[in-house]
Amino acid sequence: MDSFSSPSSSGSPASSEQLMEQIKAQLAQAFAQEFLETVGNKCFAKCVTKPGTSLSGSESSCISRCVDRYMEATGIVSRALFSPQR
Amino acid sequence: MENSAEMQRFIEQEQQKAMMSEMIGKLTSVCWDKCITGTPGNKFSSGETTCLTNCAQRFLDMSMIIAKRFEMQ
Repeated sequence: MDSFSSPSSSGSPASSEQLMEQIKAQLAQAFAQEFLETVGNKCFAKCVTKPGTSLSGSESSCISRCVDRYMEATGIVSRALFSPQR
Repeated sequence: MENSAEMQRFIEQEQQKAMMSEMIGKLTSVCWDKCITGTPGNKFSSGETTCLTNCAQRFLDMSMIIAKRFEMQ
């Protein structure tokens, strides 16, 4: 990647914007990793109750549905936080 | 000078966003455990959707109570 080999000119607008973009990208990646780990834990617990020598078809489709539902649940919780009802 | 003020604001914004993301993540995890008791289906039942929404909002209510209680000490 070019940005790693170019000399840093601290104080110039271009490099601090690049830095901000890098930080945002890293934060997004860290969040995505944490999310995937959580989803993996939840769905393994729900769908793979008796681990066999490979994932069965029903286990695989359960996992697929589980991931979709978990993403949906994240959306529902997000919206609930931003539109409180009394 | 211009740069560090902008950087400061950027950092504050990202901190806020990170805190929100973390809150949503934890809340989803807790409410999933409370509300999705069976095997995941092709869609949520209306009971499950309601439970998730209630769970998140009741958690907020609880947080307010705890914060107020803590303030009075």
